[in-house]
Amino acid sequence: MDIVFRAAIAFLFIFLLTRIVGRRELGAMEPFDLIMLIVLGDLVQQGVTQSDYSVTGLVLAGGTLALMQVAASYLSFRFRNLRPMLDGEPIVLVEDGRVLERNLKRERLTPEEVAAQARLNQIDSLDKVRWAVLETSGQISFIPKQ
Amino acid sequence: MVVLVAAVSLLALLNVFGQWPSTATVAASAATLEVRSPNAVRGGLLYQSRFTVRARRDVKDATLVLGRGWLEGLTVNTIEPGPLSEASRDGRLSLELGHVPAGEKYVLYIQYQVNPTTVGSHTQTVALYDGDEPILTYEKTLRVFP
Repeated sequence: MDIVFRAAIAFLFIFLLTRIVGRRELGAMEPFDLIMLIVLGDLVQQGVTQSDYSVTGLVLAGGTLALMQVAASYLSFRFRNLRPMLDGEPIVLVEDGRVLERNLKRERLTPEEVAAQARLNQIDSLDKVRWAVLETSGQISFIPKQ
Repeated sequence: MVVLVAAVSLLALLNVFGQWPSTATVAASAATLEVRSPNAVRGGLLYQSRFTVRARRDVKDATLVLGRGWLEGLTVNTIEPGPLSEASRDGRLSLELGHVPAGEKYVLYIQYQVNPTTVGSHTQTVALYDGDEPILTYEKTLRVFP
């Protein structure tokens, strides 16, 4: 029975961790971030299954994590007020060519990084951007001025 | 499908797949034996069985005799306190505990790990003797999930 509790705690911990780390790091992973992610996965596995080598343990832990994920998405779908907490909200980074410093600071982003992302989207200057929005997935979407 | 996964997790919370221990007590005129051990475990799990002998009269040479179900497919990590002697009694493991004065108790701990290839039901019998004189017997089933 305790493997179900451990899997549930692991889910909540990872959920909290993604909120602390922020979407910028999750959206653009460097090699260091990727290695840290693998190390974290290994640590979580040890905490959840411990010395359990059984298929039953795999089904219980995997099933519990899947259930928690389904429950989180249902709560987000059913209760609008919970959505910012569960999914996050899009954050406007650039409005009519003007960089919103406060929002950038909140996500630990620099104007140069936003400009680099704009160039990857074939936009040579932020002055040509109508809206740049940091989506909940960690990606920045750009809407150019007409 | 979600209901099925939820049902499996719920069964796990109800201790169907182990490894929460249960306690049983068997009484005789000379002594009582309390056995605290799980009824279900999974491959690889570490767990403990505890045997408490409470003497109602002087038990000169308390001996605990464990059937093969307590050993087959399980790794015994340690037995504490170490018995005075270990022997085979008609194919069963005989652990000589020694003198248990009237009104006193003797607690024996056995630490196990389930061998990952062990699967199925095992009948676990335990008998308490005073030398060669049988005092009581207890039997339970251990289910090992793959």
